[in-house]
Amino acid sequence: MFKELNPLLHSELRLAIMSILISVEEADFVFIREKTGATAGNLSVQIEKLQEAGYIGVSKGFAGKRPRTVCQITDRGIEAFQEYIEAIKSYFETGKES
Amino acid sequence: MEEKILSEKESLQLISKMIQNTQKNLENSDGRPFLIWGYTTVFVSLLVYFTVSQTGDHRFNYFWFLIPLLGVLAMLFTRSKGDKERYVKTFLGNIILNIWVVVGIAALFVSVGSFFVNIPVLGLMLLLMGMGTLLTGLTIRYKLIVVSGAVGMLLSALPFLIHRMEQILVFAVVFVIMMIVPGHVLRYQNRKSHV
Repeated sequence: MFKELNPLLHSELRLAIMSILISVEEADFVFIREKTGATAGNLSVQIEKLQEAGYIGVSKGFAGKRPRTVCQITDRGIEAFQEYIEAIKSYFETGKES
Repeated sequence: MEEKILSEKESLQLISKMIQNTQKNLENSDGRPFLIWGYTTVFVSLLVYFTVSQTGDHRFNYFWFLIPLLGVLAMLFTRSKGDKERYVKTFLGNIILNIWVVVGIAALFVSVGSFFVNIPVLGLMLLLMGMGTLLTGLTIRYKLIVVSGAVGMLLSALPFLIHRMEQILVFAVVFVIMMIVPGHVLRYQNRKSHV
């Protein structure tokens, strides 16, 4: 039986952001943009969506004179990511069975 | 990268690519900290050795305090443009930072204490720095750093055995083996992997 894929994570850029943040403690906007290759505008929108869902925490501050936006995955985000992986696995397992 | 809906296979590929890409970037140390602290220590050691041995004035031992000063300044000024712009904090990076903060505080205690109590400061310093290097190597699972840290700890016995000014030269040589050599190897390997 296929498990439903979380629509919030089942999108290229949001999944990429979550995959980066699951492997580090925290990262700033510049690092995430470099790794994903996304445009600043699009990345901001997707980060906001993940933040609204409670999957990531965002703190804004300064590094010297530059503004810095730091993101980190939350416990809820880790849980959602794990559930997403489990759901993806179910697709492959069902594929094997049939 | 856009807001594209992925197939299940593409999702898995993307997750694994992003995680690998992030890890690869962070594990690729260019040996900069080892080179900076290694060369700074060797330079200051030689400075102390020549000034004290030429003048006989032991106040030149205060030059030892140039090591943390020059080291921190060099670490700040040699950061790449990318390092200044982007920020990422990793679990491993945090552990390594904590190791060196603790080692640094212990080293400061030993060096300040040596002005009040007669202790074999150079041997103790090598022991502390060897421990820091060994722990770093074990944490990042890098054999060369493990070996150089262990060798540094073993060779920390040497200054205990030599009681003259020459122990400063031995101290400098151990730093070459423990930090400068692995620093250059790391740098070489890092450059090779980016070609």
